[in-house]
Amino acid sequence: MAKEYQIVDSVESFAAALNRVRAAQKKFATYTQEQVDAIFRAAALAANNARIPLAKMAVAETGMGLVEDKVIKNHYAAEYIYNAYKDTKTCGVLERDEAAGIMRVADPIGVVAAVIPTTNPTSTAIFKCLLCLKTRNGIIISPHPRAKKSTIEAAKIVLEAAVAAGAPEDIIAWVDVPSLELTNMAMKEADTILATGGPGMVKAAYSSGKPALGVGAGNTPAIIDESADIKVAVNSIIHSKTFDYGMICASEQSCIVMDSIYDEVKAEFAARGCYFLEGEELDKVRRTIIINGALNAKIVGQPAWKIAELSGVTVPHTVKVLIGEVESVDLSEEFAHEKLSPVLAMYRAKSMDEAFDKADQLIADGGYGHTSSIYLNAVTRKDLIDAFAARMKTCRILVNTPAAQGGIGDIYNFVLKPSLTLGCGSWGGNSVSENVGVKHLINVKTVAMRRENMLWFRAPQKVYLKKGCLTVALDELKNVMGKKKCFIVTDAFLYNNGYTKPVTDKLDEMGIVHTTFFDVAPDPSLACAKEGAKAMAAFQPDCILALGGGSAMDAAKIMWVMYEHPEVDFMDMAMRFMDIRKRVYTFPKMGEKAYFIAVPTSAGTGSEVTPFAVITDEQTGVKYPLADYELMPNMAIVDADLMMSAPKGLTSASGIDALTHALEAYASIMATDFTDGLALKATKLVFDYLPACYDNGMNEPVAREKMGNAATIAGMAFANAFLGVCHSMAHKLGAFHHLPHGVANALLIEEVIRFNSEEVPPKMGTFPQYAYPHTKARYAEVADYLNLGGANDDEKVENLIKAVGELKARVGIKKSIREYGIDEETFLASLDEMVEQAFDDQCTGANPRYPLMSEIKDMYLKCYYGE
Amino acid sequence: MKLDNIIATPAKKVVYRDGDQAIKVFDESYKKSDVLNEALNTARVEETGLNIPQLIDVQQIDGKWAIITEYIPGKTLAQLMEENPEKEDEYLEMFVDLQLEVQKHTCPMLNMLTEKMHRKINETKLDATMRYELHARLASMHVHKKLCHGDFNPSNIIITPEGKPYIIDWAHATQGNASADAARTYLLFNLEGKEALARKYLKLFCLKSDTAKQYVQKWIPIVAASQSVKGKPEEQELLMSWASVVEYY
Repeated sequence: MAKEYQIVDSVESFAAALNRVRAAQKKFATYTQEQVDAIFRAAALAANNARIPLAKMAVAETGMGLVEDKVIKNHYAAEYIYNAYKDTKTCGVLERDEAAGIMRVADPIGVVAAVIPTTNPTSTAIFKCLLCLKTRNGIIISPHPRAKKSTIEAAKIVLEAAVAAGAPEDIIAWVDVPSLELTNMAMKEADTILATGGPGMVKAAYSSGKPALGVGAGNTPAIIDESADIKVAVNSIIHSKTFDYGMICASEQSCIVMDSIYDEVKAEFAARGCYFLEGEELDKVRRTIIINGALNAKIVGQPAWKIAELSGVTVPHTVKVLIGEVESVDLSEEFAHEKLSPVLAMYRAKSMDEAFDKADQLIADGGYGHTSSIYLNAVTRKDLIDAFAARMKTCRILVNTPAAQGGIGDIYNFVLKPSLTLGCGSWGGNSVSENVGVKHLINVKTVAMRRENMLWFRAPQKVYLKKGCLTVALDELKNVMGKKKCFIVTDAFLYNNGYTKPVTDKLDEMGIVHTTFFDVAPDPSLACAKEGAKAMAAFQPDCILALGGGSAMDAAKIMWVMYEHPEVDFMDMAMRFMDIRKRVYTFPKMGEKAYFIAVPTSAGTGSEVTPFAVITDEQTGVKYPLADYELMPNMAIVDADLMMSAPKGLTSASGIDALTHALEAYASIMATDFTDGLALKATKLVFDYLPACYDNGMNEPVAREKMGNAATIAGMAFANAFLGVCHSMAHKLGAFHHLPHGVANALLIEEVIRFNSEEVPPKMGTFPQYAYPHTKARYAEVADYLNLGGANDDEKVENLIKAVGELKARVGIKKSIREYGIDEETFLASLDEMVEQAFDDQCTGANPRYPLMSEIKDMYLKCYYGE
Repeated sequence: MKLDNIIATPAKKVVYRDGDQAIKVFDESYKKSDVLNEALNTARVEETGLNIPQLIDVQQIDGKWAIITEYIPGKTLAQLMEENPEKEDEYLEMFVDLQLEVQKHTCPMLNMLTEKMHRKINETKLDATMRYELHARLASMHVHKKLCHGDFNPSNIIITPEGKPYIIDWAHATQGNASADAARTYLLFNLEGKEALARKYLKLFCLKSDTAKQYVQKWIPIVAASQSVKGKPEEQELLMSWASVVEYY
């Protein structure tokens, strides 16, 4: 005996039905993929079996369409949808990527309100019910009054098969007596809306406040190009246009034919049973199909002869399509509208541009976002396909395909998803631009595990060391690399004092032509770099040798970039970044023209092994730190011979600079086991050998060599782990008050160690591997490595601070900024700006404690007064 | 009050003149609420400052309800158009300007046009499917709050000998979408058999109000359905055909 269903005909009975669906869906949400797939299969089979009675019922009830075609639609809705999704995962874990630490989990949406149109009542009902069953959603159907019996019958068949296969009772419900009030209520109360219908219904869906997958009207134009196979084109259009008497929304409403083949196309249409309206007939049909700009309900889904008869035109019953040859694509032309019947407009186009313009207008007026189609030779006219695709504002662009059968997918193409709800994108006021499928009816939850960034260790290809190694190392230029022209960058002092002579002698000996640019001043300027680059461009070197301290090496790096890539914009390169691997700017590839060798003459900067260069804009005084591994020298030569006679001030300032490099690299949130060893070793070397270099450097070759190594090793550490807030503050202190870089760092480092050691900082640095504030323990490790003693981390850190202070004093560094003669008033006046710039410095990001600006200010003040 | 000078006889009403007063006497079949609603509408529109005959009194005369207003001397615009066909364009221009002037005003206490149309659609003899289509169409229209006359046609405009226009008969006034009011005027012209004038009117209205013709046309099925409720047999065929359209299902 047939099951009795409670009638839904009022607000109260609707609310009750909705509650039943909700309860059923709650149960359904716990089903496994296997249970769901079994239900999906049973429901699809039942719908498939009922395809003929349902088709008959739909035609009988609505008085529209053709039974035989509706059978195809029902068949399609059951079989194609099942086939497309039978193996699709829609329940629970959809994918799991252990390495990436990502998992995606599907959850149903809840209850879906489905608005079903009269044009495809049974097939759309089958389609939407099957999608909901596959995704564990409940569904409540609001049929159109004109098709309610057949819509409900289709839903009932799917429901009963699903329940028999184990689905919860009431998982599908429907409105028995449809009204706008209940349709609106369904949309408002459901969790999402699958609205197929006219613009009015789609708009109602979107204004209900619930997420909606609404779709709208189409007004598909079909262009026939000269290169098309005319028989294929014409017969495809007829095949589509006559399908279910033109009621598929994707089907062609007009065809635009190129002038040169117009007559041939027309003859083919006529030969295949289409009727061209002549003279008065055209106006009669015009007046009948569209009334005051709206589609006459009486012609929808009717055979051509019947529409002719309604218009007072007599044509044989065998006529397939009525064709009006018209000119205007404006809405004032009735034939330019969507007609949902076997009535077609035909246009003549003199050029492809004109054809595109016409198609564009037809789409804009009546089918924004829906479907467009073109017939051409797909092998020889790929360009035309691209142009058409670029131009059309439709979500489906079909080539050589009957639009009705092509747009719904999987019949004339096999990747377009089969669907009876075709998204029209934002153009059509839709949230989806593709064919609606199961993926639109699940919420996908992404489970993301904590993962740590990949880190790296990068260093120059070659680092040569040992006192006296310079000339030996340079042998390679000739013997291995066959270099011919070397450009030397240095400063005037070094040049005038013969520091470059060993290099030039060696180059002369090897027969390598060279020139020297010795105009680099401390804090090298952009203007200087430009000048050097100009000289390089004139000289065309295949090798660049930078000899000097940080200034000469940094200036040479910038010249190198400008020489190899004169087209790059300096400001782009100088742009701040959060993560060097994700920066917006892609640094140009270096080394194509010249090999870069860095030879330090002081032990501190580490620039010979770092990917950094600091340059000052002489116009504004702003310092730009550039950073990219492309700036890494190809070869570094660390030869203490060049460092022996460095003066005391330079020796102490650069020595403490190297120490701060090592200490900041060790505390950095990006520190790795690779950089830790380097940082510790460099720290120890500085503590052990800096005093001797300072006292009597000229006569301490071992100490000089050890300090040279310390600076380069520290450079390799911070080239990969980066620095911290000490350098951020030192950059600005140096720039604002003209303190040597090493001194500026020296004045700040103890305060920064204390600052970073805080176990309860207001904010910590952001980097996955930096799990919690632990910098105190890190400094304690340094203290241990230096054998400073201490019973606990607090004592160890205090001992480290004390040792740093003693070392500084030992090498003549004063205790406060004030003691360097910086006027209090001037300092305080510049303070806020320094604070903000230091906060925004590239080095701040790697600091383990994320500094507040007020904290930076506090540190500056303490270091100024030395308290 | 003297009821011997009949100046107009609209359906189920007689309008008399007594000095500077016009007395509109309603047939007994009129509902009291309809009469009072018309009087209230008139009073409300008066407050907008538009040129309309002032409401003086509402009373019963021999058991029939009557609305007494100021008498406006002159001819209706309809008469003038009839008498001076060569001035049709000039009159039409004035007609559209007047309608736009009305629509510039708001009248917040009047009934809502949208609600009235939903009610009228329910009262039609159209089948459930067509009513559903029309309700859906109406629901998708923008709800505005402009003053709409509801029966704006040349016979409801009196031009005084000095040339000053007065708009009369506010029985159907509502607040709503101006395009609905224009669609109704277009329909009224057509029902009078003046198709060419109707087209000219619609073109001019759209031009002056900067409205797309399609936007006004979207209202035509709705106002046609609403008009069909009046049940005039001679109008039914046109109205049914105009109402039986679909957007796309």
